[in-house]
Amino acid sequence: MTGPRSWIARRLLLGAAQTAAVVLLVFALTEALPGDAAVALAGDQPDPERIAAIREAMDLDRPALERLADWTAGLARGDLGTSLASGRPVGTYIADGFGPTLLLAALTVALLVPTGVGLGVLAARHEGRFTDRLVSSLTLGVYAVPEFAFGVLLVTVLALRLGWVPPTAVGYGTDLLAHPAALVIPVLVLLSRPVCSLARLVRAGMIDALDSPYAAHARRYGVPGVRVRYGHALPNALAPATQQLARTVDWLLCGVIVVEALYVIPGLGTVLMNAVAERDVPVVQGLAVVFGVTTVVLNLGADLVARRFAPRTEAAA
Amino acid sequence: MKSRFALGAVVAGVPLALALVGPWVAGGPGPRAASFTLGGGHPLGTDFVGRDVWDQVLLGGRSVVLVALAATAVAYLVAFPLGVVSALTHRAWLEELLMRPLDVLLAVPSLLMILLVAAVLTPGAAGLALLVALVNIPDAARIVRAAAAEAASRPAVEALRMQGETWWRTAVGYVGRCLTRTLVADAGVRLTGVLYLVATAAFLGVGVEPDAADWAVMVDRNRTGLFVQPWAVVVPALLIVALTMGVNLLADAGLEKRRRTWTP
Repeated sequence: MTGPRSWIARRLLLGAAQTAAVVLLVFALTEALPGDAAVALAGDQPDPERIAAIREAMDLDRPALERLADWTAGLARGDLGTSLASGRPVGTYIADGFGPTLLLAALTVALLVPTGVGLGVLAARHEGRFTDRLVSSLTLGVYAVPEFAFGVLLVTVLALRLGWVPPTAVGYGTDLLAHPAALVIPVLVLLSRPVCSLARLVRAGMIDALDSPYAAHARRYGVPGVRVRYGHALPNALAPATQQLARTVDWLLCGVIVVEALYVIPGLGTVLMNAVAERDVPVVQGLAVVFGVTTVVLNLGADLVARRFAPRTEAAA
Repeated sequence: MKSRFALGAVVAGVPLALALVGPWVAGGPGPRAASFTLGGGHPLGTDFVGRDVWDQVLLGGRSVVLVALAATAVAYLVAFPLGVVSALTHRAWLEELLMRPLDVLLAVPSLLMILLVAAVLTPGAAGLALLVALVNIPDAARIVRAAAAEAASRPAVEALRMQGETWWRTAVGYVGRCLTRTLVADAGVRLTGVLYLVATAAFLGVGVEPDAADWAVMVDRNRTGLFVQPWAVVVPALLIVALTMGVNLLADAGLEKRRRTWTP
């Protein structure tokens, strides 16, 4: 079997392997560490009673492999276990935090694509001139800045100096859509890094594509410039950008955790940070699996889409 | 591009100089004043426990810079042998064994991995450096391998082999040396990413004491006083912004130079 079908099969296989690996890694990092996990988890309150309770709750007396088998079987059924701290199912934690995080991520991606592609095309059209230099330097600079530093400066200027938007989302609960002003800073901060990387890739891809023989040929045939630019050059420029878009999911995830901590939004990032602080391992594991599998699936999807845009480029499989 | 290099050097120079020289200039721990005050002999006011913000700024850069440098160095120390061995070996299974697990590691979001470990252990500064290095190994090893594979297919390597040179001499003496330029260019980009992760982890409280003199921790802990005393947050935040921006501008200028010298 050769051709596109075998490529897709190989890519799907890699995705499956990555999913399995994420599950294994999450388990290994949190439970199979050397030493007594119960003692480590008791942390600041190492009284024997608490250690025994943790050992009981997590079945630490059984062999690690058996626990892994049980846990993965539970995952397959959609059962993520129960929290050590509250005894509630982990699923309810995820359900609680899901709304705000999904809203932030969806808004960011919805704004990311037009802004990033627009900036990239704008810079490419003015290659070497002032607009291009401005956009290129700005995207290069902002690209590297950690979200929390950028976010805290935005809060200082936009919320405290100018008073345009609230400085935190405290008091708005999970229904952020009803308070659009509270979404301005989080979305701006989440956009900062992905927009820059996307714009840079689209710019580079556009410049390459517009210089290529097929674009020159199309122009010679009298195809209008707009059509050459958006009908022929842009799809080719978008192929590497689509893959990058999925890679930015990694950043979006980091960004969501930071932004929720910074702006006090009760989403999945806050749930994760609270669970980390309380050493609530089942909740951390459940969230890590959800985040990890989302990343794997989105990367897989992006590679498939990128191949659709420019079938000849052998996307890494 | 020269202008971008100069801009990067200036922008990164200020925080770097503060980070490296600051701890020598800073005064000892003075008497604690009230928290979040302005003036009163403190040029930038006081922080959340009443320490002098300017002193904390002077002290707080070193940890960020040193942890980032250490993490970058460790990442290459592991990635270099991995990449070179898997590029030079003729045994396909060995290459698969070395590189495939890394593909899988790449799939895990970097901050998530750090937080997972932080949930179970309490890593210190060294632990944070190791974690950030671990997260960077897969990508670095791929780059080393790609560059080494290119160098290993050159006639010179063939000649060295036929002359019966040792594996060590071929791998380190020739292939390793060919990699220097790629690695120097990549190191700048990697350092940018590492700085980002180190600062973000410290902001989230991983690998640092809750009252550590660290720019990222300062931003986090002094946020509660943002209304009364913004300097305790704004100054360290600006320094982190300048540091990461400047390093990235420098890294890009380095890449550009390499691109131009290689493609005439």
